[in-house]
Amino acid sequence: MKKRARTMNLFYVPALILFAVFVIYPFTKGIFLSFTNWNGYSQSYKMVGINNYIRMLTDQNVHRALLNTIIYGVGSTLLQNVFGLALALLLNQKFRGKSVVRTMVYLPVMIAPLIMGYVMYFFFTYNNGALNDILGVFGLEAIDWLASGTRGTAILTIVNSLQFVGISMVIYLAGLQGIPDMYYEAAAIDGINSVQRFFYITLPLLMPAISSSVTINLIGGLKLFDIISALTGGGPGYDTNSLSTLVHRTYFASENAGYASAIGLISFVLIMVLSNIVLKYLDKKEADLC
Amino acid sequence: MLMKNKKAWIWRAPLLLVILLVYCSPFYILLGISFKPVTDLSSHWKFPTLPTLENFRVAIEQGNIFTALKNTTLISVIVVLLIIAVSSLAAYPLARNRSKGNNLIKSFILGIMMVPPLSILVPLYSILVDMGGINEYWGIILILLTYELPQAIFLYTNFIRSIPEALDEAAALDGCGPIRTFFYIVLPQLKSVTASVIILTGIHCWNDYQFSLYVLQSSKMNTITLAISSFFSQTTSNLHAASAAALLAILPVVIVFLFLQKYFIKGMVDSAIK
Amino acid sequence: MKFKKLLALGLALGMMCSLAACGGQESSAPAESETAVENEAAEEAVETKDVTITFATNVVGTKAEALEAACKAFEEETGYTVDFQAPGDSYEELMKTKMSANELPDVFTTHGWSVARYSDYLMPVNDLEFAADIDDQIKSVITDAEGNMFVLPIDIDVAGIVYNVDALETAGVNPDDIKTWADFGAACEKIKAAGITPVHIGGKDTWTIGQFFDWAAPSYYVTDEADNHAAELKAGTFDTETWEEVAGLLDSWVKAGYLNTDVLTSDYNADMEALANGTTAFCFYGNSSVVDAKNVNPDANIGMMPIPAANEADEPSLIAGEDVAVGVWKDSEVKDQAVELLNYLARPEVAKTIAEAAGCKAGLTTVTAEIGEIGTYLEKYADVATFPYFDREYLPSGMWDIMCSTGADILAQKDGAVANAAKVMEQNFNDKFVQ
Repeated sequence: MKKRARTMNLFYVPALILFAVFVIYPFTKGIFLSFTNWNGYSQSYKMVGINNYIRMLTDQNVHRALLNTIIYGVGSTLLQNVFGLALALLLNQKFRGKSVVRTMVYLPVMIAPLIMGYVMYFFFTYNNGALNDILGVFGLEAIDWLASGTRGTAILTIVNSLQFVGISMVIYLAGLQGIPDMYYEAAAIDGINSVQRFFYITLPLLMPAISSSVTINLIGGLKLFDIISALTGGGPGYDTNSLSTLVHRTYFASENAGYASAIGLISFVLIMVLSNIVLKYLDKKEADLC
Repeated sequence: MLMKNKKAWIWRAPLLLVILLVYCSPFYILLGISFKPVTDLSSHWKFPTLPTLENFRVAIEQGNIFTALKNTTLISVIVVLLIIAVSSLAAYPLARNRSKGNNLIKSFILGIMMVPPLSILVPLYSILVDMGGINEYWGIILILLTYELPQAIFLYTNFIRSIPEALDEAAALDGCGPIRTFFYIVLPQLKSVTASVIILTGIHCWNDYQFSLYVLQSSKMNTITLAISSFFSQTTSNLHAASAAALLAILPVVIVFLFLQKYFIKGMVDSAIK
Repeated sequence: MKFKKLLALGLALGMMCSLAACGGQESSAPAESETAVENEAAEEAVETKDVTITFATNVVGTKAEALEAACKAFEEETGYTVDFQAPGDSYEELMKTKMSANELPDVFTTHGWSVARYSDYLMPVNDLEFAADIDDQIKSVITDAEGNMFVLPIDIDVAGIVYNVDALETAGVNPDDIKTWADFGAACEKIKAAGITPVHIGGKDTWTIGQFFDWAAPSYYVTDEADNHAAELKAGTFDTETWEEVAGLLDSWVKAGYLNTDVLTSDYNADMEALANGTTAFCFYGNSSVVDAKNVNPDANIGMMPIPAANEADEPSLIAGEDVAVGVWKDSEVKDQAVELLNYLARPEVAKTIAEAAGCKAGLTTVTAEIGEIGTYLEKYADVATFPYFDREYLPSGMWDIMCSTGADILAQKDGAVANAAKVMEQNFNDKFVQ
């Protein structure tokens, strides 16, 4: 059997070669760059030790991006799962036209976030923006939606969530359909109400679905990039940057490639740790239920 | 029972209406702007009184949208084909062997899923330059392949785990080595999960922006996201043509999705729940 | 078992080969006989005429169309292939990655950075024929310390403040009365009273905020002979207090309500819309913006005036910089052909169409571009002193983004934004100057 296992390990080879060349090597080089003051294009640079990492401790822009990244990650995950589950519960009933709703909600998942961001810009502009036009109809004063970093972050989280809520929705729909009717029948005999039914039967049995949905949303949210660059460009100032967009800007616009590499590494570690904690927790939950 | 249904409709109907409105509005607005002449500055909600095809002409001529569609299709198809081969192979030992080393590989692959591509962009770029992969289809194909692999490997691994190992063991007893076992026993059972891989990877490749931006610099190599972003670029004032281009770019996906919706959703669900 | 192991290995290798094969196949596909071929074909190229020249440019829109058309005509004349690349927004990023890999396009535009950023990579053009015809107004800007020039300046961006003529008339403001920033403020007050937004900045794009500083900073730092910091900046000393004055000017406008309400979220397109339709009076852009504004509203009546001075004793000034300036990569494999292309672009009839598409004055004395009204303005202000773009000339590379982001903080009216802007500018100036 050992030999068998060894032979099987050869199956890894193509994948591992690709990883070695296009992930590990650049990654190691990135670590090296994070200890330099390279500007991103010149042929020369100096080693600066851990200065880049020290600088991060006091850099307001990094702190803000860190906070925003967590908001994008956790916020999107919460919104998508709550809305996704709600939509799934709604669509799990029998009524006409439900497939239309399902199609429309899932459709944006197909569309490049970059394009979605550009389209959303037509909604949020101050002059002639679609949202302000609606406010105007009701005689309300126009709002400069993306002018505040806090509101901008919230809007980006919501846009990202609404675009991808379809994923959670279909996962939960499948999960709901996988729950055998007999559980509900038994519950009906025991005479429990619908709220109890949801919390004691539906939710626990959806655990595998929750776990998948949370993982997908969390990684997606923490890596958010395209939609930010299309909608706010990280602005006003640095206020809606995620770590990804901050790395991009630090690297190219401010010409601090060394520093950007350091931020990139830290954001990798952050995403890794955060996702692992959540995954471990969900795995344990799932195992408890089995 | 009838009474109950009626009651349900009272809150359900408006709710559904709101959801539909929210989800239709981006498409409606995109459509409206695409057909409006550049000089028409009326509200985005107002559909053009004099629809024009001018924006589409500009989009097609200047944006090379058709070339972009062709490039994107080619790249996506090849990446998808390669990914099926490479990831199903790698998934097999990952699903079957339970050793420490294997766990290490598993967490390593999970880790790759989380690497923000930007943090390694420049080293990655210089490797490609050394290999001569800039502005080449194979350059972007290899990169997309690599970064889409983890997800596909996970899909396959989960799926293969759900195939009873007894089958493999029986095959082994019959004298089948792992290679024959994989090709004769495992592979034929992977059809449905392969559909999921095709769909998920296909969409990611189709929508990729970050990698293509740096690898495909020649305008003849543009993919759709690149074509669109250059339209929305900082000094052009032609948002109408840009919208028209965006519309052309999403049209194929939307059509394919509407026709094969069942498979898309099944793919997504299969990939998530196992 | 051993056989199977071998087989597995073979399979794995096969996989890799199929990968490679696929790559190989692709690169020989007819669709792209571009850059890849370039390296291998370089040696044979000279004889076979099967030459591909990569031409990358930052410009988009009308200018890009004119450039591309010129390249097409050049292709027809010579039989070479020109791979024209206009990635728009991402141009600078792409160029930075290319510089880091020391692999540049054969011919490219330098968007104002021919000396400060690209001179190490460009071939000097002093010996080319057109060099003698380069207009004096741009000559100093594109010449390095050793006297080398690296680009063909097809046109010159002589920039002042662009304004909507009708808007100023409505408000009763005569642009020629505006000599200092104080006058400018008074004019803004009048314009605001007339219900027009005095100044429009599309701050979402951030570079639009940087424009303000490039326009305002020279008058505080370098235009006034009596109070001049030019030498000091070049020597690596940044006067923080003066920057507080520059930043303070922007701050005072925000406080006085001279800027558009959506200053943080609108973009360049919105600027052009407002300027073209007369809902705003002033914008801080080069003359190319006039072409963009006219795209929105062909009847727009746009004028240009010199930039006010900071001190009463000083005179208003103009900015002169590269607009479409083209250079040849010094290590290009098809250098000779690239030079041919450069010479082609320098031909009066070719340069003329490009300069006219840009709406700017031609960069060669042999060329006269017909650029409509803006041409008359340029003639009117021909005697006004011109200065280079502030950040390109006096600040180390990489400061632009700092200017933009600290400016955004001022627009957002964050606490202590003005003082902080000056502090951050100084810090980064010192850090980057050492490099």
